[in-house]
Amino acid sequence: MISFSHVAVVYDSHRVLHDISFKVEPGQFVFLVGQTGSGKTTLLRLISMDILPTKGIVTVGKYSSRGISPRELPFLRRTLGTVFQDFKLMGDRSVFDNVAFTLHVTGTKGTEIKKKVMHTLADVGLTHARNMRVQELSGGEQQRVAIARAFVHNPLVLLADEPTGNLDPGTSAEILQLLFDINTRGTAVIMATHNYELTRKAKQRILRLEEGGVRQVEKA
Amino acid sequence: MSISYTLRESFSGFRRAKISSLLSIITVCISLLLLGSFVAITVNAGRLVDALRARLEMEAFLVEPATEGEIDSLVTAVSSLRGVENVLFISKDDAVRIFKQEFGEDITTVLDFNPLPPSLKITLTPQYRTSTGTQEVYDRLVAMRGIESVVYRKALLELIDKRAAGLNKVMLTLGLIISLSAIFLVSNTIRLAIRAKQSLIQTMELVGATRGFIRLPFLLEGSVQGLCGGLLAAALLAGLLGYGARLVSAEFAPYLRMAPAFYGGLVCAGILLGFAGSIISVVRFVRPVAAH
Repeated sequence: MISFSHVAVVYDSHRVLHDISFKVEPGQFVFLVGQTGSGKTTLLRLISMDILPTKGIVTVGKYSSRGISPRELPFLRRTLGTVFQDFKLMGDRSVFDNVAFTLHVTGTKGTEIKKKVMHTLADVGLTHARNMRVQELSGGEQQRVAIARAFVHNPLVLLADEPTGNLDPGTSAEILQLLFDINTRGTAVIMATHNYELTRKAKQRILRLEEGGVRQVEKA
Repeated sequence: MSISYTLRESFSGFRRAKISSLLSIITVCISLLLLGSFVAITVNAGRLVDALRARLEMEAFLVEPATEGEIDSLVTAVSSLRGVENVLFISKDDAVRIFKQEFGEDITTVLDFNPLPPSLKITLTPQYRTSTGTQEVYDRLVAMRGIESVVYRKALLELIDKRAAGLNKVMLTLGLIISLSAIFLVSNTIRLAIRAKQSLIQTMELVGATRGFIRLPFLLEGSVQGLCGGLLAAALLAGLLGYGARLVSAEFAPYLRMAPAFYGGLVCAGILLGFAGSIISVVRFVRPVAAH
């Protein structure tokens, strides 16, 4: 479903990624680990084609970085869901409006939007907060809203960029569990983190980014 | 894309960013006040020059003696000349009466005879009220049989032409500078407002919003801000010109009045400014592809 073939990214003559090749199959959960600055965010941005590779090809479903047109980009991104470390929520809108936003963008009908948003809010345990402004919520709750917004439209892949980076260990574990739950429903999840501790006990696949390259971490 | 959602987003933009919306409206208003004042000055200066030109007449003196038939055919011939709007025959007696009105003396009692020749007072069409147009009519008149001589205020007309041409150049340059400044000022203000929403735009892009979906609310919001700025500028300018008209003499008051179309144009210019300002800013922030 997602395929990186000899991908390299160079920023201003600084090599961020080089000769990266790997695949992610539908429904897989992949931890992307590495130090800060190792290129995890760059790799996620390559998947959403927010940037294009300097060399090599990134393929996401039927879309390829070689020859994707500007008109196709929104449609590629509708097959993805993205969660950020800083949530990137719209602080002046309610929880409901933040989650509904993705559906408005994808042209979903009004009645369908209400049903899907309420269902998703129930999944992340935030039904009670639907009318609250996101600024009134705790960090963990805000990240739940961000996750709800990212998977309300049932994407094929959920990209999570350091989703627990700003959270305490307890809340981090809850968020991780939520991502596991989403994954069990068939959505592939790629979660970037520099928190090795979080992945230690996990059985999921781990890709480690080091010195611009990627290698699979084999579990003992 | 849902139209109702787009409209809702556009109008809620005002509620969410009251200060930046207000700033954009004020910027549009100030720009249009400048532009509107400039247009009002240009239009009215032009009207004043036209009024001055309309007062200038040509006078063709006739060869004496002239029979009634000769005069009639001459009036017909002059009237049919290109550029001639109106021809008025002034008989020798009429000339004496006019002389008396202007100088207070009866010339026939001073000289014992009437030395004033019969003449034709000729008014030209607006297009011919220039020094070259007048010269063209003059050349045709002096070549006509039955006309002794033709006089008009050539030097004054040439001076008006020269000054009007200079004024036009200055106004054109000023108009261009003011228009460009207005677009720059408005687009800069709107750009600042949109920059504040850059994170929102990025989020929209990442959840799969099309360029049209992202841009349309900003364009509508900009146009509505332009409309508000335009309405405000039109109201302020109407008030200012009305106040000015009361201050000057009745003769000049009409030159401080503008037609309703001018105010309508100002409002349309506001919408256009808001729309253009938004386009310039939105295109900058909403790129088709963030290619590496």
